[in-house]
Amino acid sequence: MRFEPTELTDAELALQEEVREFLATELPRGTFRPGLGMGADRDPTFSRKLAARGWVGMALPRRYGGGDRTAVERFVVVEELLRWGAPVGHHWVADRQTGPVINRFGTEAQKERFLPPICAGELSFSIGMSEPDSGSDLASLKTRATRVEGGWLLNGTKVWTSGAHVNDWFIVLARTSDEADRHEGLSQLLVNLRSSGLRVNPIPFLDGTAHFNEVVLTDVFVPDELVLGQVGMGWAQNTSELAYERGGPERWLSTYLVVEYFVREHAGDPMGERAEALLGEAAAQWWALRQLSLSVARQIDRSESPAAESALVKEMGTRFEQDVLNGVRRLVDLEPSLESTSTFERLLSSATLTAPSFTIRGGTSEILRSVAARGLRP
Amino acid sequence: MTDPLLVEAAERVFADTCTHDAIQAAEQEGWAAGIWARAADVGLPWIALEQGGSLVDALAVLRVAGRHAAPIPLAETGVLAGWLLFESGLRVGEGPLTVVPGRPEDTVRIVGDRISGTAHRVPWARAAERVVALVETAGTWKIAVVPGADVAIETRSNLAGEPRDTVTFDVPAQVAPAPPGVDAAALLYRGALTRVMLMAGALERMSRLTIDYTNERVQFGRPVGRFQAVQQHLVQGAQEAVLVGIAADGAARAASRGQGRFEVAAAKLLANRAAYTATRAAHQAHGAMGMTQEYALHHLSRRLWAWRSEYGDDLFWSVRLGDAVARAGPDGLYPAITGGSAVVDV
Repeated sequence: MRFEPTELTDAELALQEEVREFLATELPRGTFRPGLGMGADRDPTFSRKLAARGWVGMALPRRYGGGDRTAVERFVVVEELLRWGAPVGHHWVADRQTGPVINRFGTEAQKERFLPPICAGELSFSIGMSEPDSGSDLASLKTRATRVEGGWLLNGTKVWTSGAHVNDWFIVLARTSDEADRHEGLSQLLVNLRSSGLRVNPIPFLDGTAHFNEVVLTDVFVPDELVLGQVGMGWAQNTSELAYERGGPERWLSTYLVVEYFVREHAGDPMGERAEALLGEAAAQWWALRQLSLSVARQIDRSESPAAESALVKEMGTRFEQDVLNGVRRLVDLEPSLESTSTFERLLSSATLTAPSFTIRGGTSEILRSVAARGLRP
Repeated sequence: MTDPLLVEAAERVFADTCTHDAIQAAEQEGWAAGIWARAADVGLPWIALEQGGSLVDALAVLRVAGRHAAPIPLAETGVLAGWLLFESGLRVGEGPLTVVPGRPEDTVRIVGDRISGTAHRVPWARAAERVVALVETAGTWKIAVVPGADVAIETRSNLAGEPRDTVTFDVPAQVAPAPPGVDAAALLYRGALTRVMLMAGALERMSRLTIDYTNERVQFGRPVGRFQAVQQHLVQGAQEAVLVGIAADGAARAASRGQGRFEVAAAKLLANRAAYTATRAAHQAHGAMGMTQEYALHHLSRRLWAWRSEYGDDLFWSVRLGDAVARAGPDGLYPAITGGSAVVDV
């Protein structure tokens, strides 16, 4: 396992400054409801504004509307958006993983059809991996695509599908054939979330929000031209998609704003030794986790596959997100409420309710430790 | 950037000399003449002071030394005492040097050219050819150096059995004024940086040792490292090693450009934290074998526990860093994290 130290170049630092100025101008504090990392609000208008600056799909090729930028440049932009609490929900999945996966495995026609609207901040995607009986053991999934004239008929159920009720498409991982090795015979299919035969059932989240869904697929027809990459190669393609999903700044910034608003609203002058100690420890961890995460982005830019490294960072980063939240909570004496008029108290409340999901979404900590441990073997 | 040939050379020297028996013997005898001679022979203690050498190179060598638990005053001779002598125009010389780290209970004074009083926790004072102290006298910082043979020494040691002696001075010394920027704070940050490098090396080695041991140790018919519960310890040890490793890289780079105070403070804080979490994981994965003198784990874990308290413990660095970051205010908080000492004054 390797984490080469790296620094931002002058051009990358200039981009960081550009994003900071954009956010301060377009989305000043007090004019919007800041959210918690990638769980922030969705705002298609904001997504289109970002896209107009070239900051959605920026690592995709220019000929499909992308920016030919690097993973590190995308990191610089995304990091600023997340720590600002900007409403990234609309374009988040498409920008982070669907766009890159279509670019890597898709046909020319698929790239021409999907990548330009992704890069414009218009087309939104959900993730179609988990099923009621297949979570961590994803290869046991039961959704099946059956061969028919000109395409496939899709039957099965996907769960924990964030945004399925509002997004446009999702990539469904489904079984297309039965093979001795269950990792074979799986395929990825691009499915319109408004297809006939597709039903979206809301699954209310424990904090009262409505973004979680079950998606039931009954004889949903998917034409051949919407099979992503090769039939039967779904597992390998899906694994590469997961590498984009782990190791980024969204894995250690989810509770950053709780701390920033603690400093904004609760820090007395002087602050007190316990609060200073917490702030010092958090700053040190953010600083170092960020270096690791940047190092992973550089590896992606060198066309390496830092799967074990990403898993290691995500497991550590998400645990830290929870720890720093609890650390802040221990500094204050209040009864948290989502209805509070204080942004700090609202963020603290919301984070308290949603924090358990940080170490589950995108691969549980237990699975990530197995992935990382394989990378450590002598 | 670090010179890879130099790191390789250091790796060879310490891999050859820092055998299990040699480290055990050094702890018994309080000195490892053989290891020192080999390291001195290729100039490892003075990398930062030589023509063409750099602080980053010297720090990289310290990391290798930490990996091998090298029981010699490598940090003291070149990066700390040697630096003070060099900066003040005094002769660095060839033998092992040590430095007074500066404990609150110290009573060292310089009057004229005479140094007196007692200093605590002085590394390898018993073996040092010369002892260097940085002392404030009437508002200015002075550097004093005396032969090791001229001071009274009470032998003391740290948790790893490394000499940390109590030194009483009452002798004439060579004294020079410290140049601007060389004061107790500068020594504190530089000292902390040396411990960060040593600890980063020790954490890397401890992670590797634990992975190898759990791959060989068989219980219930398979290597214990195949059990998920044990893998959790392996992953945690590796996480702490890479986190402190990249922090050490960042701190060394920043320090070579100036003082890099944010980065050194953050790195020492993370190393101190890892001294708890990573040793706990490594010891748990090793079982009873890790608690013995005959197995190498204690060479690393005991050093980590000792080094975390040297040049600033957790409370000291967390409050200092937190205070600096709090002064940046809510709008300056994230820029402080990304910009470090370029934008925040620790």
